Amino acid sequence: MKSLLLRQALVLVALALVPAIGQAIYYRDRVSWQTPIPASELVTVAQARSWGESAIWVDARQDEEFARDHVPGAILLNEDRWNDLLPQFLAAWSPEKKVVVYCSAQSCNAAREVAKRLRDEAQLKNVFVLEGGWEAWIKTKQ
Amino acid sequence: MFFVRMKFAWRILDLIVAGIFIYAGALKALDPLRFANDIDNYKILPWAIGVRLAFYLPWLEIFCGVALIARRLYLGGVSILAALTSVFIIAAIAAKVRGLDITCGCFGHASKNWSFTAHLALDLLLLGALLFLLRVFSNQRRTCSF
Repeated sequence: MKSLLLRQALVLVALALVPAIGQAIYYRDRVSWQTPIPASELVTVAQARSWGESAIWVDARQDEEFARDHVPGAILLNEDRWNDLLPQFLAAWSPEKKVVVYCSAQSCNAAREVAKRLRDEAQLKNVFVLEGGWEAWIKTKQ
Repeated sequence: MFFVRMKFAWRILDLIVAGIFIYAGALKALDPLRFANDIDNYKILPWAIGVRLAFYLPWLEIFCGVALIARRLYLGGVSILAALTSVFIIAAIAAKVRGLDITCGCFGHASKNWSFTAHLALDLLLLGALLFLLRVFSNQRRTCSF
Protein backbone atom coordinates (compact mmCIF):
# COMPACT_ATOMS: atom_id res chain seq x y z
CA MET A 1 0.00 0.00 0.00
CA LYS A 2 2.89 2.35 0.78
CA SER A 3 4.48 1.89 -2.63
CA LEU A 4 1.09 2.42 -4.30
CA LEU A 5 0.62 5.64 -2.32
CA LEU A 6 4.08 6.86 -3.23
CA ARG A 7 3.67 6.01 -6.90
CA GLN A 8 0.30 7.72 -7.16
CA ALA A 9 1.48 10.77 -5.23
CA LEU A 10 4.48 11.13 -7.51
CA VAL A 11 2.28 10.94 -10.60
CA LEU A 12 0.00 13.69 -9.23
CA VAL A 13 2.96 15.85 -8.20
CA ALA A 14 4.41 15.52 -11.70
CA LEU A 15 1.06 16.15 -13.43
CA ALA A 16 0.49 19.36 -11.47
CA LEU A 17 3.89 20.64 -12.56
CA VAL A 18 2.79 20.86 -16.20
CA PRO A 19 0.13 23.62 -15.94
CA ALA A 20 2.09 25.30 -13.14
CA ILE A 21 5.17 25.69 -15.33
CA GLY A 22 3.01 26.84 -18.22
CA GLN A 23 1.35 29.48 -16.06
CA ALA A 24 4.68 30.61 -14.61
CA ILE A 25 6.01 31.09 -18.13
CA TYR A 26 2.90 33.09 -19.02
CA TYR A 27 3.40 35.32 -15.93
CA ARG A 28 7.21 35.50 -16.15
CA ASP A 29 7.37 39.24 -16.85
CA ARG A 30 4.64 40.20 -14.41
CA VAL A 31 6.05 38.55 -11.30
CA SER A 32 8.82 39.66 -9.05
CA TRP A 33 10.48 36.27 -8.55
CA GLN A 34 13.03 37.33 -5.92
CA THR A 35 11.36 39.95 -3.72
CA PRO A 36 7.68 40.49 -2.87
CA ILE A 37 7.45 44.16 -3.77
CA PRO A 38 9.97 45.73 -6.12
CA ALA A 39 12.28 48.00 -4.11
CA SER A 40 11.24 50.87 -6.37
CA GLU A 41 7.68 50.60 -5.01
CA LEU A 42 8.67 50.54 -1.34
CA VAL A 43 9.32 53.61 0.75
CA THR A 44 10.67 53.95 4.27
CA VAL A 45 9.01 56.11 6.92
CA ALA A 46 11.93 58.57 6.82
CA GLN A 47 11.75 58.93 3.04
CA ALA A 48 7.98 59.33 3.00
CA ARG A 49 8.16 61.94 5.78
CA SER A 50 10.76 63.87 3.83
CA TRP A 51 8.23 64.30 1.01
CA GLY A 52 6.16 66.47 3.36
CA GLU A 53 3.10 68.02 1.77
CA SER A 54 3.75 66.39 -1.59
CA ALA A 55 2.75 63.00 -0.18
CA ILE A 56 -0.75 61.68 0.40
CA TRP A 57 -0.92 59.01 3.09
CA VAL A 58 -3.43 56.24 2.51
CA ASP A 59 -4.52 53.99 5.37
CA ALA A 60 -5.47 50.58 3.97
CA ARG A 61 -6.48 49.08 7.31
CA GLN A 62 -10.00 48.36 8.54
CA ASP A 63 -12.26 51.28 9.55
CA GLU A 64 -11.99 50.56 13.28
CA GLU A 65 -8.19 50.53 13.20
CA PHE A 66 -8.19 53.81 11.31
CA ALA A 67 -10.63 55.29 13.83
CA ARG A 68 -8.35 54.24 16.70
CA ASP A 69 -5.32 56.03 15.31
CA HIS A 70 -3.68 56.85 12.00
CA VAL A 71 -0.94 58.87 10.37
CA PRO A 72 -1.94 62.56 10.62
CA GLY A 73 -3.75 63.60 7.46
CA ALA A 74 -4.05 60.02 6.17
CA ILE A 75 -7.07 59.09 4.07
CA LEU A 76 -8.91 55.87 4.72
CA LEU A 77 -9.06 53.61 1.65
CA ASN A 78 -9.51 49.90 2.18
CA GLU A 79 -10.68 47.11 -0.09
CA ASP A 80 -13.84 46.40 1.90
CA ARG A 81 -15.32 49.82 1.13
CA TRP A 82 -13.30 50.60 -1.98
CA ASN A 83 -16.15 52.10 -3.98
CA ASP A 84 -17.35 54.28 -1.09
CA LEU A 85 -13.91 55.55 -0.13
CA LEU A 86 -12.24 56.03 -3.50
CA PRO A 87 -13.99 59.34 -4.39
CA GLN A 88 -12.82 60.89 -1.13
CA PHE A 89 -9.25 59.86 -1.94
CA LEU A 90 -9.43 61.10 -5.53
CA ALA A 91 -10.71 64.47 -4.30
CA ALA A 92 -7.53 64.89 -2.25
CA TRP A 93 -5.21 63.50 -4.93
CA SER A 94 -3.40 65.53 -7.56
CA PRO A 95 -0.99 64.26 -10.25
CA GLU A 96 2.14 65.76 -8.70
CA LYS A 97 1.53 64.07 -5.35
CA LYS A 98 3.12 60.82 -4.23
CA VAL A 99 0.82 58.24 -2.66
CA VAL A 100 2.07 56.31 0.38
CA VAL A 101 -0.10 53.33 1.30
CA TYR A 102 0.25 51.55 4.62
CA CYS A 103 -1.42 48.76 6.58
CA SER A 104 -0.81 47.40 10.05
CA ALA A 105 2.62 45.82 9.69
CA GLN A 106 5.17 44.41 7.30
CA SER A 107 3.25 41.13 7.27
CA CYS A 108 -0.11 42.54 6.19
CA ASN A 109 -1.33 42.39 2.66
CA ALA A 110 -3.81 45.24 2.47
CA ALA A 111 -1.33 47.99 1.51
CA ARG A 112 0.03 45.97 -1.41
CA GLU A 113 -3.49 45.26 -2.65
CA VAL A 114 -4.66 48.85 -2.35
CA ALA A 115 -1.47 50.13 -4.02
CA LYS A 116 -1.94 47.62 -6.82
CA ARG A 117 -5.55 48.67 -7.36
CA LEU A 118 -4.61 52.34 -7.37
CA ARG A 119 -2.03 51.63 -10.07
CA ASP A 120 -4.16 49.22 -12.12
CA GLU A 121 -7.69 50.54 -11.71
CA ALA A 122 -7.21 54.24 -10.96
CA GLN A 123 -4.17 54.38 -13.30
CA LEU A 124 -2.12 56.33 -10.76
CA LYS A 125 1.63 56.61 -10.87
CA ASN A 126 3.91 57.28 -7.91
CA VAL A 127 2.14 54.87 -5.60
CA PHE A 128 4.36 53.46 -2.85
CA VAL A 129 3.94 50.94 -0.05
CA LEU A 130 5.24 51.97 3.36
CA GLU A 131 7.91 49.54 4.51
CA GLY A 132 6.92 48.10 7.90
CA GLY A 133 3.46 49.71 7.80
CA TRP A 134 1.81 51.33 10.79
CA GLU A 135 4.18 49.50 13.19
CA ALA A 136 7.17 51.18 11.57
CA TRP A 137 5.45 54.56 11.78
CA ILE A 138 4.75 54.09 15.50
CA LYS A 139 8.37 53.05 16.12
CA THR A 140 9.72 56.22 14.52
CA LYS A 141 7.38 58.29 16.64
CA GLN A 142 8.77 56.83 19.88
CA MET B 1 -28.39 -2.44 2.05
CA PHE B 2 -26.18 -0.99 4.76
CA PHE B 3 -23.07 -1.36 2.58
CA VAL B 4 -24.80 0.25 -0.38
CA ARG B 5 -25.71 3.22 1.81
CA MET B 6 -22.19 3.42 3.17
CA LYS B 7 -20.75 3.37 -0.33
CA PHE B 8 -23.16 6.08 -1.39
CA ALA B 9 -22.23 8.23 1.64
CA TRP B 10 -18.53 7.68 0.89
CA ARG B 11 -19.04 8.79 -2.71
CA ILE B 12 -20.94 11.90 -1.62
CA LEU B 13 -18.19 12.81 0.85
CA ASP B 14 -15.64 12.25 -1.92
CA LEU B 15 -17.47 14.67 -4.19
CA ILE B 16 -17.86 17.32 -1.49
CA VAL B 17 -14.20 17.22 -0.45
CA ALA B 18 -13.02 17.10 -4.07
CA GLY B 19 -15.33 19.99 -4.98
CA ILE B 20 -13.97 22.14 -2.15
CA PHE B 21 -10.37 21.56 -3.19
CA ILE B 22 -11.04 22.08 -6.89
CA TYR B 23 -12.89 25.32 -6.12
CA ALA B 24 -10.15 26.52 -3.77
CA GLY B 25 -7.43 25.54 -6.24
CA ALA B 26 -9.17 27.23 -9.17
CA LEU B 27 -9.61 30.50 -7.24
CA LYS B 28 -5.91 30.56 -6.41
CA ALA B 29 -4.79 29.46 -9.86
CA LEU B 30 -6.73 32.42 -11.29
CA ASP B 31 -4.74 34.85 -9.17
CA PRO B 32 -1.34 33.33 -8.31
CA LEU B 33 0.15 36.70 -7.36
CA ARG B 34 -2.39 37.26 -4.64
CA PHE B 35 -1.78 33.73 -3.39
CA ALA B 36 1.97 34.41 -3.40
CA ASN B 37 1.33 37.40 -1.15
CA ASP B 38 -0.84 35.25 1.12
CA ILE B 39 1.93 32.65 1.43
CA ASP B 40 4.44 35.41 2.09
CA ASN B 41 2.29 36.74 4.93
CA TYR B 42 2.96 33.59 6.92
CA LYS B 43 6.65 34.57 7.05
CA ILE B 44 7.73 30.94 6.95
CA LEU B 45 9.23 30.72 3.48
CA PRO B 46 11.38 33.16 1.54
CA TRP B 47 9.46 34.98 -1.20
CA ALA B 48 11.43 33.23 -3.95
CA ILE B 49 10.11 29.85 -2.80
CA GLY B 50 6.64 31.10 -1.83
CA VAL B 51 5.96 32.63 -5.23
CA ARG B 52 6.91 29.39 -6.99
CA LEU B 53 4.67 27.42 -4.65
CA ALA B 54 1.86 29.87 -5.41
CA PHE B 55 1.99 28.76 -9.03
CA TYR B 56 2.23 25.08 -8.15
CA LEU B 57 0.01 24.32 -5.13
CA PRO B 58 -3.33 25.38 -6.70
CA TRP B 59 -2.78 22.95 -9.58
CA LEU B 60 -1.80 20.20 -7.18
CA GLU B 61 -5.06 20.78 -5.28
CA ILE B 62 -7.05 20.70 -8.53
CA PHE B 63 -5.41 17.49 -9.76
CA CYS B 64 -5.87 15.77 -6.40
CA GLY B 65 -9.53 16.87 -6.35
CA VAL B 66 -10.03 15.46 -9.84
CA ALA B 67 -8.32 12.22 -8.73
CA LEU B 68 -10.91 11.89 -5.96
CA ILE B 69 -13.81 12.39 -8.34
CA ALA B 70 -12.40 10.15 -11.08
CA ARG B 71 -11.24 7.52 -8.57
CA ARG B 72 -7.94 7.32 -10.39
CA LEU B 73 -4.77 7.83 -8.30
CA TYR B 74 -7.23 8.03 -5.40
CA LEU B 75 -4.87 7.04 -2.61
CA GLY B 76 -2.21 9.49 -3.76
CA GLY B 77 -4.78 12.29 -4.09
CA VAL B 78 -6.29 11.84 -0.64
CA SER B 79 -2.85 11.54 0.98
CA ILE B 80 -1.49 14.68 -0.68
CA LEU B 81 -4.59 16.67 0.26
CA ALA B 82 -4.38 15.45 3.86
CA ALA B 83 -0.70 16.41 4.00
CA LEU B 84 -1.38 19.86 2.48
CA THR B 85 -4.22 20.51 4.91
CA SER B 86 -2.08 19.44 7.88
CA VAL B 87 0.76 21.72 6.80
CA PHE B 88 -1.67 24.60 6.41
CA ILE B 89 -3.20 24.04 9.86
CA ILE B 90 0.27 24.06 11.46
CA ALA B 91 1.29 27.17 9.49
CA ALA B 92 -1.91 29.00 10.43
CA ILE B 93 -1.51 28.19 14.12
CA ALA B 94 2.17 29.19 14.02
CA ALA B 95 1.24 32.50 12.39
CA LYS B 96 -1.44 33.15 14.98
CA VAL B 97 0.95 32.38 17.83
CA ARG B 98 3.48 34.82 16.35
CA GLY B 99 0.72 37.44 16.18
CA LEU B 100 0.86 37.86 12.41
CA ASP B 101 -1.99 39.76 10.76
CA ILE B 102 -2.63 37.30 7.94
CA THR B 103 -5.18 36.48 5.30
CA CYS B 104 -5.19 32.71 4.84
CA GLY B 105 -5.55 32.65 1.10
CA CYS B 106 -7.19 29.23 1.18
CA PHE B 107 -10.02 30.37 -1.05
CA GLY B 108 -8.25 33.20 -2.79
CA HIS B 109 -9.89 36.58 -2.38
CA ALA B 110 -13.16 34.98 -1.24
CA SER B 111 -11.74 34.08 2.17
CA LYS B 112 -9.95 37.30 3.01
CA ASN B 113 -12.49 38.35 5.62
CA TRP B 114 -12.82 35.01 7.34
CA SER B 115 -11.80 34.82 10.96
CA PHE B 116 -8.96 32.62 12.12
CA THR B 117 -11.45 30.35 13.91
CA ALA B 118 -13.50 29.89 10.75
CA HIS B 119 -10.36 28.98 8.78
CA LEU B 120 -9.22 26.54 11.40
CA ALA B 121 -12.66 24.94 11.77
CA LEU B 122 -12.98 24.37 8.02
CA ASP B 123 -9.46 22.97 7.76
CA LEU B 124 -9.94 20.62 10.69
CA LEU B 125 -13.21 19.47 9.18
CA LEU B 126 -11.52 18.85 5.83
CA LEU B 127 -8.65 17.00 7.47
CA GLY B 128 -11.11 14.84 9.38
CA ALA B 129 -12.99 14.04 6.16
CA LEU B 130 -9.75 13.21 4.31
CA LEU B 131 -8.54 10.92 7.08
CA PHE B 132 -11.93 9.21 7.07
CA LEU B 133 -11.75 8.70 3.30
CA LEU B 134 -8.24 7.31 3.65
CA ARG B 135 -9.41 4.88 6.31
CA VAL B 136 -12.44 3.73 4.32
CA PHE B 137 -10.24 3.24 1.25
CA SER B 138 -7.64 1.15 3.09
CA ASN B 139 -10.37 -0.91 4.81
CA GLN B 140 -11.97 -1.60 1.46
CA ARG B 141 -8.65 -2.66 -0.07
CA ARG B 142 -7.99 -4.95 2.89
CA THR B 143 -11.47 -6.53 2.51
CA CYS B 144 -10.98 -6.96 -1.24
CA SER B 145 -7.58 -8.60 -0.81
CA PHE B 146 -9.05 -11.39 1.36
